[in-house]
Amino acid sequence: MIAKKIREEVYSCIKCGLCLTPCPVYKQLYFEAASPRGKVQLIKNIFEGRLEPSENFHRLLFTCLLCETCTVNCPSGLKIDRLMKAMRAELVEKFGLPWQKRVLFNLLVSNRLLPFFLFWGRILGKTFFSLISKSGKVGTIPYAKLPQLNPKSLRDQYPEVLTVAEPKGKVLYFTGCATNYLFEEVGHAVIDVLQHLGVEVIIPREQMCCALPIFLAGARKMALKNIEKNLELFNREDVDTVIVDCATCGAALKKEYAHILEEMGESAEAARALGRKVLDISQYLLRFELEEFLQPIRVRVTYHDPCHLLRSQRVKEEPRSLLKRIPGMEFVEMAEADVCCGGGGAFQWEHPDIASGISRGKIKSIRETKASFVASGCPGCRLQIYGNLGDEPIRVVHPVELLAKALR
Amino acid sequence: MLSREIRREFAAIVGQERLRTSQEDLLTYAYDAYVKEYIPDAVLFPKSTVEVSRLMKVASAHQIPVTPRGAGSGLGGGSLAKRGGVVLCFTMMNQILEINTANRYAIVEPGVVISEFQKEVEKLNLFYPPDPGSATVATMGGSVSMNAGGLRGVKYGVTRDYLMGLEIVLPSGEVMNAGSITAKDVTGYDLTRLICGSEGTLALVTKIIVRLLPKPKARRTLQAIYDHIDDAGNTVAKIIAAGVIPASLELMDRMIIKALEDFAHLGLPLDAEAVLLIDVDGDLEAVEKQAKMVAEFCKSQGARDVRVSQSEKDNEQLWMARRSAFGAVARMRPTCVIEDATVPVSYLTSAIKKVMEISEGNRVQIAVLAHAGDGNLHPLVLCDQRDKEEMERVEKAMDEIVDYAMSVGGTLSGEHGIGIAKAKYLPRQLSGTALEMMRAIKKTFDPQGILNPGSFLEHGRDR
Repeated sequence: MIAKKIREEVYSCIKCGLCLTPCPVYKQLYFEAASPRGKVQLIKNIFEGRLEPSENFHRLLFTCLLCETCTVNCPSGLKIDRLMKAMRAELVEKFGLPWQKRVLFNLLVSNRLLPFFLFWGRILGKTFFSLISKSGKVGTIPYAKLPQLNPKSLRDQYPEVLTVAEPKGKVLYFTGCATNYLFEEVGHAVIDVLQHLGVEVIIPREQMCCALPIFLAGARKMALKNIEKNLELFNREDVDTVIVDCATCGAALKKEYAHILEEMGESAEAARALGRKVLDISQYLLRFELEEFLQPIRVRVTYHDPCHLLRSQRVKEEPRSLLKRIPGMEFVEMAEADVCCGGGGAFQWEHPDIASGISRGKIKSIRETKASFVASGCPGCRLQIYGNLGDEPIRVVHPVELLAKALR
Repeated sequence: MLSREIRREFAAIVGQERLRTSQEDLLTYAYDAYVKEYIPDAVLFPKSTVEVSRLMKVASAHQIPVTPRGAGSGLGGGSLAKRGGVVLCFTMMNQILEINTANRYAIVEPGVVISEFQKEVEKLNLFYPPDPGSATVATMGGSVSMNAGGLRGVKYGVTRDYLMGLEIVLPSGEVMNAGSITAKDVTGYDLTRLICGSEGTLALVTKIIVRLLPKPKARRTLQAIYDHIDDAGNTVAKIIAAGVIPASLELMDRMIIKALEDFAHLGLPLDAEAVLLIDVDGDLEAVEKQAKMVAEFCKSQGARDVRVSQSEKDNEQLWMARRSAFGAVARMRPTCVIEDATVPVSYLTSAIKKVMEISEGNRVQIAVLAHAGDGNLHPLVLCDQRDKEEMERVEKAMDEIVDYAMSVGGTLSGEHGIGIAKAKYLPRQLSGTALEMMRAIKKTFDPQGILNPGSFLEHGRDR
């Protein structure tokens, strides 16, 4: 049952249509049911009993990046994304999850299965990919452009507490799955920079997947265990700052946990308390005088706004000013930096045609800047952008990686 | 319901993908930005003139009602399938075919979004002025069919003023051209401008030729805050009478100021009765002179505070208030009905006061935005569509607004069109002869009456 507060949203839609053109998905498909207004109206029809939640509606509801562009553009202030998310949770009850998602989510909610899988993945992965077609793709991303698994998970490479003499700060580090298992270089950069600045870093070992991919697919109940565990670990009284290097994890910890607990009728107090403590790494680093630690690096960099950072967390200027503080670096703003890259988590795998159409625009904007680095604080965007670039020598990195590179 | 035979004929032209008949599709083409809904039997998405022509041949052979539609941002139900049949949606026919800098015109397909077209021409230092509030979503085709106006009307006029020619498909499927690409053209009746504003009742527009202007070199925005709405109204009159033609001249009333402050915190004083936003554009020197002059008018009429922008960036900041106004007000209540009765500009102040009186008299919340420079009011009527009793009061308030506009020589609709929203008022403004003449014209274009049936022309006939 969808919370009343969320159900009421449909009556605030005045059908003005201002959400159509900004919607990346609508701009690929150009029919109304693919647009936010269309989906809101269909949901209203379902609420009022004029439409059955059909297979077709189910497909349409998942033909959405959840990029939240509609929500920020809605003149009536409808929380369109929350309505869609709640509806997805309703439909999971009826249609279940596709088997691939079921397998993946079962891994993500288990602290034992995941390391086991990754261990064998590392050993067998190369052999596996060498056996199958080289031109194959996962969604829009060619096999050759998929990242390698970290040889050892990031959290296994560091002690739980990284002490410094006379700490200038103390943070809990939520590493997220992507940094922990796929992009260890991001984690090394985060830790490196923080240690340089004299910040004590605590990496709770028991932390679990933020579960956002799980509950955004509608499987809210499945995500509860992760949410509870993370709340317990990161709501520690002795540390008042939690840092995140992943836009998606940040969105989950800052607000999504509270939203779904509240909508499920559970207490959201702890989630709200945690939300107030969480900072994206770019927000946290701006508290420091960085200049004295940095030496020039001569590269041209552009920045892509991850949906979960820009729209979910309203973090726009911080990563940019971080980059602009690096001496010698030439920062070029790309056209439409705030438009979604087309990734959308599982979206690019479920809708490769739509996703690659959206990515084409992003890649074009990137090429026009003639930058050799695209900075973006989201592993999903990183996968999508790198996977859709051609063979040109453009690298996609986390802003903090560039900062770490410039450390004296 | 369309028979399987007819669906097959349509599908043979546009393919299964662009003939949509699922319940989800039909329900999402049942509405526009107006409150009423009508469910069509099918939605077709042509991509070329040839396809439109072939579709119309099938439709006319089987007498199937056809209602053209762009993005569906209209405010009067003009693009809804009032009598069922098919909706012909042009969103996939959306190419800019030519931007001719030598002769300063452009040719576009109907599905091109207005603001996207504007962006493209501005890259070439050209300018397409018509700027309806919905420009970021509305299509060029919709804009032509409704003769859309907008914020720049006071200086630059409306869509019709930029139309040079059209390619149209008649209900019979015949393709015809009207107008030309020349700056002047007096050959025969001006069918181009007749079709503009015909609300999709005469023909389907498949190509649009518009005139472009050189892009103004500079623009300055002024914001003037007033303690009394009369002073704001007098300022408008004074500016217009003095022969200064601002590019935009917008007014926001007290309720809008309050909504803006609640929602966007722009630092507007809550005890003010009105804010004017004024744009002047042109050559830099002239613009600065005009900005100064207008600022003095504002002060001399009692503005408590006048701010003049010094740069493009300043302009944007001052416009923030106006751009957020609709949203700020719309979120106060579930439903927001946008009126657009228009009065001669000298009646602006009395019209606004009248609206306030009507608002109180009927216990209906109304905020007033106005394209003040052309006397075009946008009373935003706040309500909840689900509350029948309230909606009756809203209806009555709207009737009274129309009564007033008529009594001072105004018009039913400045720029939104009649559609079904205002059809019942039509006889108030048009004589029986005028209406008959329009129906005769309709018959010439569409003898079977299959194009947008149930439109304003048929009001009072068979419903």
